[in-house]
Amino acid sequence: MRSIQVEQLEKVFQVKKKQAGLTGSLKALFKPQFTDKAAVEGITFSVEQGETVAFLGPNGAGKSTTIKMLTGILHPSSGTAEVLGCCPWTERSKLAYRIGSVFGQKSQLWYHLPPLDTFELMSRIYELRRNDYTERRDSLIERFELGPYLHTPVRKLSLGERMRCEIAASLLHRPQALFLDEPTIGLDAVVKQRIRELIVEMNREEGTTIFLTSHDAGDVEKLCDRAIVINHGGIVFDGQVEFMKQQFLTHKTVQLVLENDPGQLSLDGVAVLTRSGSRLTLSVDTGHTTIESVMSALMSSHRIVDMTVQDPPMEDIISRMYGTFRAKEAVM
Amino acid sequence: MSMADNNRYTVGISEHDQPGKLRRLIRFTTASWRLNLAGAMEFRLSFLLTVGTMMVNNIVWIIFWDMYFQRFSVLNGWTMQDVMMMWAAAAGGFGIMSIFFGNATRLASLIVTGQLDVYLAQPKPVLLNVLISRMSVSAIGDLLFAIFIFLAFGNVTLLGTIKFTAALLLSALIFIFFCVITGCLSFWLGNTEGLSFQLYNALLTFATYPTGIFKGFGRLVLFTVIPAGFISSMPVSLIREIDLNFLFGAVGMASALCVGGILIFYKGLRRYTSGNMIGLRR
Repeated sequence: MRSIQVEQLEKVFQVKKKQAGLTGSLKALFKPQFTDKAAVEGITFSVEQGETVAFLGPNGAGKSTTIKMLTGILHPSSGTAEVLGCCPWTERSKLAYRIGSVFGQKSQLWYHLPPLDTFELMSRIYELRRNDYTERRDSLIERFELGPYLHTPVRKLSLGERMRCEIAASLLHRPQALFLDEPTIGLDAVVKQRIRELIVEMNREEGTTIFLTSHDAGDVEKLCDRAIVINHGGIVFDGQVEFMKQQFLTHKTVQLVLENDPGQLSLDGVAVLTRSGSRLTLSVDTGHTTIESVMSALMSSHRIVDMTVQDPPMEDIISRMYGTFRAKEAVM
Repeated sequence: MSMADNNRYTVGISEHDQPGKLRRLIRFTTASWRLNLAGAMEFRLSFLLTVGTMMVNNIVWIIFWDMYFQRFSVLNGWTMQDVMMMWAAAAGGFGIMSIFFGNATRLASLIVTGQLDVYLAQPKPVLLNVLISRMSVSAIGDLLFAIFIFLAFGNVTLLGTIKFTAALLLSALIFIFFCVITGCLSFWLGNTEGLSFQLYNALLTFATYPTGIFKGFGRLVLFTVIPAGFISSMPVSLIREIDLNFLFGAVGMASALCVGGILIFYKGLRRYTSGNMIGLRR
């Protein structure tokens, strides 16, 4: 069953053009000039119920704008979208009962009050039955380990504690689809990991569709099966995360321990990343050469004591992917 | 979990499609007010001082008018009691707006900085949700002051109380929806924080001067563009004795502002552009 269906969705913002400085401001005051900026340009995709999708792209690519259109916050300039069978902007209220949203930079928790008070308000906002609400709340408190913070004002919580409360609040009404806009922004590695585990758990146990934007490669790798990559408002990749890794995986990392210091190493398509005596880390451009030929060349002149071949981390793949987009733009 | 189970689960936990929608809307509204008050009382001393200083601030004006009426007994037909009741109606209406619909005066800023996202993502009427999500602590002092003035200078009978309550409600409605409309200008004109504040300030200022001192064009403005006249005339045209023409006019203006405010807000929402400002609910 389709959870999200998007067709030719487009959002154009009017942006005022102004030269820098006071003179520019004065000119703009009497003769303002506007240009149309397409934040999202006719994107089409669909997501099945229960899928975990990472919506990726560099800053300004149109990720947040898309997520805001899918949650009914923004009206599109053209195109159609259906989320759980509802049009987000004309059936906003009906849809909101069935989806959850977490905006990493916009809190729905009351800043001066303990999270428990916000949970209570959420139960009224989503019109939850009292028994179901208390049962669900207690289960989320246990699962997200919120017990120690329940009575502490939000302003006194750490960012990680706050974000766990934030996600728990968005799950109180058992949403069928969860939209997360940079949910792990600013969190430390341990907290990020815990939040990812919890989201995966909700997806597995309740079949919640996860639609997430993030700049964190770990979020993509640990949470999502599928990635949609957007750049300048258009989709440039839509497929399994594994496939994306392969497509943008143009380099492999080879760690070597040789019997002797190899001295100057010059092989086509190979860059030395680090070296310490006979220990080397190489980056092999698989577009230029193969691992096999590099190994053959090395083995012909050196004795290899130990060797591991690794894919570069997801972080590098995403950076490389965004780098490719920028290079293409520079050529154009 | 199958899709059917999933649907059953989601429908099962929320009552939103069951009868009793209004009751649940009222519960949500009161829950929001309770949270606002609880949030305001988090800082106990600051809370008491803010409420107290606002009352003192208003009392200064009473002293000023008292000094005036010690020299002149009447001002264009207005007595000391009328002026006091005008202050009660204006401070009370402003107090109701700022306590229960505290975001009315911040609407322009919320729109232009893209802070409506949280409200738009929730399944409640957006305008109501936005308005009730903030409470001005100092305004509690204004409302208490209005009640105190009524008890001290008003006609504390059943009819007098009904008339005063009606005056407060009309005054509050005019304040709230005038602010909503001026705040909504941001949807079309961009950052109108300053303009919206000036218009709101004009309404507030003119609501605390006896209408009798304005003539001609000034009077026309006060009963149309800046409808402060409907608030400041309440002591003589509603509380002292009911002038039906005025009453229909005030009810008509309040209703027009109400309907206009709601329509303009929802029309404007289509133009809402959101933003990337980091936001916390306070």
